[in-house]
Amino acid sequence: MKIRQGLFWKVFLVVFLVLGTAVVSTAAADVNMSFVVWSYGLETVQDNIQKFQAMNPGVTIALKDYSWLDYHDTIVGRFAAGNFPDLMYGSDHWLQEWASAGWLVPLDKYFPQVKQYSPELAPYALQGMSYNGEIYGMSYYADTLDFIYNAKQLQAAGFTAGPRTLDELFKMASALKSKGVVQYPIILAWSQKEGAFPEAFLSLVFAQQKGGNAMFDSSMEPVFNRPNSAAAQVLEWVRKAYSAGLIDPVSLSTAEIDQIKSMQAGAHTFTIAPQYNMAELNRPKSGDFAGQFKIALMPGVSHATVGYVRFYAMTSAVPKKGKDYLDAAWKFFEYFAGKTNGQYTVVKRWAVENGLGFAQLPLFNDPDVRSAFGKWGDITTIAEQAKLARAKEGLTPWYGTWDIFMRAEVQKVILGQESAAAALSAMASKWNELKAQQ
Amino acid sequence: MPETRTRWYPYVTILPALLLIGLFTLYPVAVAIQDSFYQYVLTKPRSHPFIGLRNFREVIGSYYFLNSLSITGMFTVASVAGVFLFGLTVASLLNTKIKLAAVLKVIILLPWAIPSVVAGLLWKWILNGDFGILNGILFSLKLIPGYIPFLSDPVLARVSLVLAQVWKEGSLAAIFFLAGLQLIPSELYEAARMDGCRTWRMFRAITFPLLRPIALVVLVYETMTSILTFDLIYVLTGGGPADSTSLISWFAYAEIFKSLNLGHGIALSIIIALLTLALILAYLRILRTEDSR
Repeated sequence: MKIRQGLFWKVFLVVFLVLGTAVVSTAAADVNMSFVVWSYGLETVQDNIQKFQAMNPGVTIALKDYSWLDYHDTIVGRFAAGNFPDLMYGSDHWLQEWASAGWLVPLDKYFPQVKQYSPELAPYALQGMSYNGEIYGMSYYADTLDFIYNAKQLQAAGFTAGPRTLDELFKMASALKSKGVVQYPIILAWSQKEGAFPEAFLSLVFAQQKGGNAMFDSSMEPVFNRPNSAAAQVLEWVRKAYSAGLIDPVSLSTAEIDQIKSMQAGAHTFTIAPQYNMAELNRPKSGDFAGQFKIALMPGVSHATVGYVRFYAMTSAVPKKGKDYLDAAWKFFEYFAGKTNGQYTVVKRWAVENGLGFAQLPLFNDPDVRSAFGKWGDITTIAEQAKLARAKEGLTPWYGTWDIFMRAEVQKVILGQESAAAALSAMASKWNELKAQQ
Repeated sequence: MPETRTRWYPYVTILPALLLIGLFTLYPVAVAIQDSFYQYVLTKPRSHPFIGLRNFREVIGSYYFLNSLSITGMFTVASVAGVFLFGLTVASLLNTKIKLAAVLKVIILLPWAIPSVVAGLLWKWILNGDFGILNGILFSLKLIPGYIPFLSDPVLARVSLVLAQVWKEGSLAAIFFLAGLQLIPSELYEAARMDGCRTWRMFRAITFPLLRPIALVVLVYETMTSILTFDLIYVLTGGGPADSTSLISWFAYAEIFKSLNLGHGIALSIIIALLTLALILAYLRILRTEDSR
């Protein structure tokens, strides 16, 4: 009996140790990462996460989302409070701030292999994800600010193609108004709070400028305040169009969603918006004008526009958690923004299903992407506009502060409270003041 | 109970409350005051030198300070006056023997119970210049020739903001005034009527003097609320157009969350707190003077 008891305890001990070791080793391999996004396509995000988790047992991703309009401020609040997520969406608009604060870490420092993707990226996107020569993100999507028009309404006013220059745009808008096709031919989402307001303004400035340095020179000195600069021409034009009743006054309090709904309702003929909105504008049965929305190259001298990038980024919390987390993070980046089995699987999914633009240039030749984009837009024009896109100028740690000032100044010019020259001069002074404080 | 126990009993009983207030109110305020004397820019996490009053000097000398202070002043005066009149009128109506008064008292409080963000969104839809219901009603009644861009015109945007604030806050004032009205003995009105007083005379001679303590409470509370209004602006106008609705509280927020300058944001918040405190002290002084008469 004693021998049996001894044997029982020996077997129990061995089983306990084996199971215990297994449990401990499994626990060590479990990596739980938080992932913060803005609220867009959450079902797709969740589905992508599930597929990623199925491919990578032991790695779990906890998703948290915030409204796009509040995303920057909420994240800043979280960072300031020390409540860092592991992985998150980032934007070229905020990269300088967040990287200089040490909240985001450069990916190429931990994953040198990230550079293998650089040759396939649109230059504006790579520039938008870089700070001090280091790469801080992998592209979730990249897009351009495009000039969109309602072809049916334009035809009703006697025009067969979109405008090529600002003068043409003015003439077409005047004709649309005088013929009673629409009361206000142009709508802009230029609410002081709207995230894409500066990007839309800059896209007009870039289009009106031959070559780069439309706003700042290579030493980040303002050039936009020079007489007859592209910015001055655009501001004067916008004020003239606003005074002539060609731009809907509501533009100064309109955000992107209302802008797109107004266009769908046929209240306006022209607008400037991120290209991905074409999928919604031309969605079948979305309104009387579904299928009638087309893209023209940004009206101006060079037809250049602003290209922007939103990307997956890693916070400084991850390296502190050790190698397992870093390994899991790279797997995440590779799956969500890189290639899986030689394909940009997730990026392509966003493009095909949601019409999101992309930084990965080979996707322009992908048959599925071409077919999907062809349903709501002219992929040749989209690709042509993407080639002419440039990253925003002046992205610095103080850009956010200047941006607040700039928005109000542009609105003052439109409202006739200030001349374009005075506003540009004030904007330059503010820039120099902020630069000197660094 | 022994004398020592009796002496310590009040202090012991309020100790938990004092500790909580100390932890969640006094400590953060003390830290904020301390931080306001340091450079605290979030994009420079490793550099927090002591800079004395520089944050205050820079904030007061900033491009927005005087303008936003004047906008805040105008908004506060208009809102407090609006809330006061709205509250008094509604309370007077509810104090009459009308049917459904009990139900109306609950309904009238609803706007106050709605979170400011929701109230802001409601008004944003109501006032939309392209498809807002207010424009729809006015246009269908042929009162306006075309839709009005309420939130895109600097003057109309300010008026809209005041309107939304009065709608949001007026109901609470109405309940305060109603409570005050119901405490006034009806005999006073009966005697006045017998003396041949008319309604306006009764209001001036009886109602308003007896409502004065409540009026001052409403005045103090609504002044504070108006100066500190932020969420309504954030949702409704975002400070625009052209900074026309950028109250000083908006810039305190912008300094911290847009410019990432915690030092400036805290300094501005302290200035706002001091201004509010000064106003409250002035009100209390008026209250004390009236009582001592």
